[in-house]
Amino acid sequence: MVSQTETGSGRPYSPAQVRRLTDFDLTLPALGLLILFFVLPVAMLLTRSVTEPVPGLGNYAELLGSSTYLRIFANTFIVSGLVTLVSLLIGFPVAWALAIMPNRAASIVFAILLLSMWTNLLARTYAWMVLLQRTGVINKMLLGMGLIDTPLPLVNNLTGVTIGMTYIMLPFIILPLYGVIRKIDPAILQAAALCGANRWQSLVRVLLPLAMPGMAAGALMVFVMSLGYFVTPALLGGTSNMMLAELIAQFVQSLVNWGMGGAAALVLLVVTLALYAVQLRFFGTNRMGGR
Amino acid sequence: MLLNFDRLGWWKLVLIGITLLTTAFLLLPILFIAALSFGSSQWLIFPPPAWTLRWYQELLEDPRWLDSAWTSFRIAIIVTVLSVLLGLVTSFGLNRGRFLFREALKALFLTPMILPVVVLAVALYAFFLQIGLNGTLTGFVISHLVLALPFSILSITNALEGFDKSIEDAAVLCGASPFEAKIRVTLPAISHGVFSAAIFSFLTSWDEVVVAIFMASPTLQTLPVKVWSTLRQDLTPVVAAASTLLILLTVLLMVLVAIVRKGLKS
Amino acid sequence: MNRSFLQIRGIRKEYGPVTAVQDVTLDVAQGEFLTFLGPSGSGKSTTLYILAGFENPTRGDILLNGETLLATPSHKRNIGMVFQRYTLFPHLSVGENIAFPLKVRRLPKVEIDAKVSAMLKLVRLEGFEDRKPAQMSGGQQQRVALARALAYDPPVLLMDEPLSALDKKLREEIQHEIRRIHQQTEVTILYVTHDQEEALRLSDRIAVFSKGVIDQIGTGPELYANPATRFVAEFIGDSDFLPCDVVSTVNGRAEIAVCDSMTVSNIPLHGTASSGSKAALMLRPERLLLSKTKSDIGLPVTVSDITFLGNNVHVATKTRKGNVLSVRLPFGHEAISGLNRGDAVWLRFDAGSAHVFGQ
Repeated sequence: MVSQTETGSGRPYSPAQVRRLTDFDLTLPALGLLILFFVLPVAMLLTRSVTEPVPGLGNYAELLGSSTYLRIFANTFIVSGLVTLVSLLIGFPVAWALAIMPNRAASIVFAILLLSMWTNLLARTYAWMVLLQRTGVINKMLLGMGLIDTPLPLVNNLTGVTIGMTYIMLPFIILPLYGVIRKIDPAILQAAALCGANRWQSLVRVLLPLAMPGMAAGALMVFVMSLGYFVTPALLGGTSNMMLAELIAQFVQSLVNWGMGGAAALVLLVVTLALYAVQLRFFGTNRMGGR
Repeated sequence: MLLNFDRLGWWKLVLIGITLLTTAFLLLPILFIAALSFGSSQWLIFPPPAWTLRWYQELLEDPRWLDSAWTSFRIAIIVTVLSVLLGLVTSFGLNRGRFLFREALKALFLTPMILPVVVLAVALYAFFLQIGLNGTLTGFVISHLVLALPFSILSITNALEGFDKSIEDAAVLCGASPFEAKIRVTLPAISHGVFSAAIFSFLTSWDEVVVAIFMASPTLQTLPVKVWSTLRQDLTPVVAAASTLLILLTVLLMVLVAIVRKGLKS
Repeated sequence: MNRSFLQIRGIRKEYGPVTAVQDVTLDVAQGEFLTFLGPSGSGKSTTLYILAGFENPTRGDILLNGETLLATPSHKRNIGMVFQRYTLFPHLSVGENIAFPLKVRRLPKVEIDAKVSAMLKLVRLEGFEDRKPAQMSGGQQQRVALARALAYDPPVLLMDEPLSALDKKLREEIQHEIRRIHQQTEVTILYVTHDQEEALRLSDRIAVFSKGVIDQIGTGPELYANPATRFVAEFIGDSDFLPCDVVSTVNGRAEIAVCDSMTVSNIPLHGTASSGSKAALMLRPERLLLSKTKSDIGLPVTVSDITFLGNNVHVATKTRKGNVLSVRLPFGHEAISGLNRGDAVWLRFDAGSAHVFGQ
């Protein structure tokens, strides 16, 4: 790679000077780490999908041809879509309220958002395992209110996964959306009101379109994160209703089938990268990291 | 008027209602677990019939819990130190460099953050099996470093972008060597970014489950792996006790962050 | 004056195909206040950055007291600099900022403390040493930056548009401070600005930069009275330009014809021109005389606008060929009373205030 740094060229008055450390050189240790322990292993895994057990695309034919696996893909997309939708529906009003709330109240909500985000993932998932179980608090409450006669099966199925994942993803949609709404100048909505728009018209024609980039970016991020999520589906889902990440793990851990594992990993990678490409194409920047 | 809280009319009540419900939805499970950890019921009945510290006693008397916590802590500390150091060096290179493919390189450094962890976990598992790093502390540190570094680079490059390089130039003209200027002037000025890098790196490693599940051996496992394998067997209240301690740690971390942020501001 | 204190010798800076500085040569005397004046992109800042050591020249050398500076890295050049943006170290107090270069030089604490208070006194900020930069105004911050840059008694002080972020009134106030501090410390100052008024107010000499070269160096009055190029004439003071025909040239002086109606002789000629060629006649609005009575030696024009500007009145006029000429007259001048738009008037000028610029 060519580096053109201002300090890089040797100075004419000291020809004996050794080549100085350029800025590019500073990135080399991290680059080495990433190539050796990220790019290389992933590439090796993906290679195995077309070489094991025999060279060819057999693994992909099996993966995309079997109804069992297609069912898993469908599960993954349905749950991810549902989680995204629910997170958006709840997240938008919360982000909106946060953006205009008095500072003191907002900082309390922020603290709770942060506490929830930073609490250990397993602890949070465990809470939902307990809450949602047959004899859990939620079923008890519903029974007590007379809404149901027999306990609902809320866990070890996709319902449980959807509830648990929505819980985890909500902050990831609220925080970026809050940032976008916060940047909208209130004068624009005053102008809309002066132009004769009532509240519904202001919401639908002004506020929502202005918040749309944030909603789309947040939604895409949550959807992509959900697609590859492993822990929550594995603990809250049932053995009969797997998601894609669990399938990859199972291929490798229980079945020791590296070929199929690599193929499933490639499918997940391709979908993920394609969705990020869409985001980059339409929204320009990478809004990752929740910052 | 939609962005003026006092002029929303009855919509204000709807917004407040949804926000309150959501806040409760986010907070209650955490409080619930904390309460259950002191409950006497083996079957996690709520409200608990009686209160007890039994689960904490079981937790603290089991050396496997303490060992795994200590392992997690050691790994997280090493990862934090390496991630911040590497993040600093890399961010300076990315921020100050004027070389080809700089943006592409930046994107590459951030990819481990956005790719599904399970893919990295499986890939590293296969690779480490071949080179004999599976189940070793080094293996844990490397894989967590790959996951933590993007957060570190992101935090520090953000801080560097907000720092006017002229200030460092001024220090150099004042007689400080370029390295001394970075240590004495630039580093204090971007300390908030370095601090976030450390927090994010620590949390990434400390809470990491997926890679750890693959990386763990019977003799070396992290706290999340211990929680995971316990949960796969049954929902024992000991996990509630462990979870409560983890929640407490989160609260302490948040307080620390708040204090440091305040300290950095003044 | 010892002009060989600081010598810039044929400095050239190329960025790929772009040449930012083209063979700049310049001598600066000890204690001199020299300003680099020019528009942005004219190479004045790049030259300053080469002096500071942040950029390496493609060619050329810089000598301080006869020795090259280029072999010395920035931090050992012992040069002071005040930047365009606020560059106080945000985590250090005002006192610690001024002490920073002295601590880096490992001076004893007593000496540092004494120097810090002397410097605070110099920039008239006594009592501010415990403030953080964020608690101070822009003007105060730049004064602290000046104190910090002077704390180690540098032989040369560089200032890169230090006042451009301040509003006009504050700018003038700090210009006076800088003048006073220059006289008090007798430090050699190289000052970069794009503001001609600032340059004229502060400098002993001004080097006018244009497109990477120095068009002219001289004192303010020299540049104003005798601009070497059309660019300098435009940049220093106000100027009007009229197209003219060169009738003849003798010894750097020209006889010209303007607007077919009048010829003037003995006007200083700059650039190349020969009889019959086209050239530009430069006039100063404040040196034009306006008369309401027809005269054969005056240029006939029509008044197109009259603007009141406080102590001055600005009269815009048009020649028969449509060229615009401005005239500036003091308020209450008898030539203005009763003057109206559309009036026919005659303009006169003396050959000493006019210049002809060839191609």
